[in-house]
Amino acid sequence: MTTKQLSIQRYLPEQGSAPYWQDFDIPFDDSTSILDALNYVKEELDGSLSYRWSCRMAICGSCGVMVNNTPKLGCKSFLREYEGPVKIAPLAHFPVEKDLIIDMEPFLDHLAAVQPYLINDSGLINGSGESEETFKQTPEQMEKYKQFAGCINCGLCYSACPQFGLNPEFLGPAALTLAHRYNLDSRDQGKKQRMPQMNREEGVWSCTFVGFCSEVCPKNVDPAAAVNQGKVESAKDMLIGIFKG
Amino acid sequence: MRKSTSDNIKRSDEPIWWGLFSAGGVCFAVFVPAAILFIALLIPAGIMAPEALSFERAESMIFSLPGLIFIGVVVCLPLFHAAHRIRHGLHDLKLGKEQLNKIVTYGSAALLSALALVGFVIGIM
Amino acid sequence: MAKQTSYFPELKRDWWLKHPYFKKYMAREATVLPLVFFLVCLLAGLFSLLQGAQGWQGWLQFMQNPLVIALNLLAFMASLFHAWTFFQLFPRVMPLRAGGRTVPPHLMVLGQWLGVLVVMVLAAWILMGGL
Repeated sequence: MTTKQLSIQRYLPEQGSAPYWQDFDIPFDDSTSILDALNYVKEELDGSLSYRWSCRMAICGSCGVMVNNTPKLGCKSFLREYEGPVKIAPLAHFPVEKDLIIDMEPFLDHLAAVQPYLINDSGLINGSGESEETFKQTPEQMEKYKQFAGCINCGLCYSACPQFGLNPEFLGPAALTLAHRYNLDSRDQGKKQRMPQMNREEGVWSCTFVGFCSEVCPKNVDPAAAVNQGKVESAKDMLIGIFKG
Repeated sequence: MRKSTSDNIKRSDEPIWWGLFSAGGVCFAVFVPAAILFIALLIPAGIMAPEALSFERAESMIFSLPGLIFIGVVVCLPLFHAAHRIRHGLHDLKLGKEQLNKIVTYGSAALLSALALVGFVIGIM
Repeated sequence: MAKQTSYFPELKRDWWLKHPYFKKYMAREATVLPLVFFLVCLLAGLFSLLQGAQGWQGWLQFMQNPLVIALNLLAFMASLFHAWTFFQLFPRVMPLRAGGRTVPPHLMVLGQWLGVLVVMVLAAWILMGGL
């Protein structure tokens, strides 16, 4: 079995402040994913390595890492795709807590800010929070937002976004995409509540359409398109505001 | 933690600049290539006859309504497109201060656009 | 936000040199630099026109300077590169719908290039004495 050299960025806060690189030789074949390689390191070579993972099938979104400076899901990229040594680092633009584990809190805050859930008070049984009937939606209505509904909150797009790297206050690709996704949903009535967040300097307007977020998205959501459609919405919102006075 | 339902969130003025940037971007992509090709390459290089831009022709072409449209589409809007990209480029390179960069870049675009319009007005008088 | 024990590297101003994708992005942003040169040339032309036939002749000669031609050639290539990137973004920012279906992006890109071609033919026709 051939082996490949893996360089992993280690950071052990309890043993000193500076991160360092550690090399491992990993036996691999065509089916060895980056996550398999990390598991091999932990089980066979160095049990002190810390990283997140769960489902192994690009659904849970927890195994994101930088592979050769590009954000990837560990379970969805394979050693066979890389020539030469492979450099693995924690997702960029986030605080690193230990080894490959990042602090997702800034991302989750930004998600919460755009209220990414159906907002619709019609048809509720007196304050019970329960609806009398389920919301109906035609396939055509669903088609409008379906593209943007595939997000698994893995955070790769934030690591791909230099604008988020330059300004951590920027709401960022996934949050703005979800805002747009719910704004496009025929069952939703929350657009008015979300627009102020999108209209901010740190809303859609911090984006310069670098487009790398859409390149790295493991679910092909195309967040760059959503954010920039959000700019059109925000511009319309401004015009409407001017005419209404 | 950020409050998600605050009424006094400040709206960005970016739609104005983004609108000018987009309009200028279309002009830069659709009209500017032809303008550069003929005015700055084929005629100066002698590939096309220089009579195409003789003094009399140039004068009658530019100091007219189509000339004014030309100035708007090939000069003014692309200037604002360029100003927008330079401003964000400065931010990308962590140069200058946001507010000052804005004033200098859009201010220059506005100044040069005004200059072009003044030139046009002098020409038609 | 970041806890005391966490490590948070700051993004340095040379971030865009670290990945080929970001270099391409910066090249796209930089297309406006030679554009500004061409626009200043045009402005100079406008004002030389106001100074009579002699001033105009001087500007035509300035435009023949090999360095000026080289910079304008760069501006020409930059405008085409800009067009190439811009036309691809357009269908994503404003997806057009016709007859209940989204117009295929490649058709929109093609249509925009057709526009560039039409403008070039029109410009040639005008300059060759069509008007």
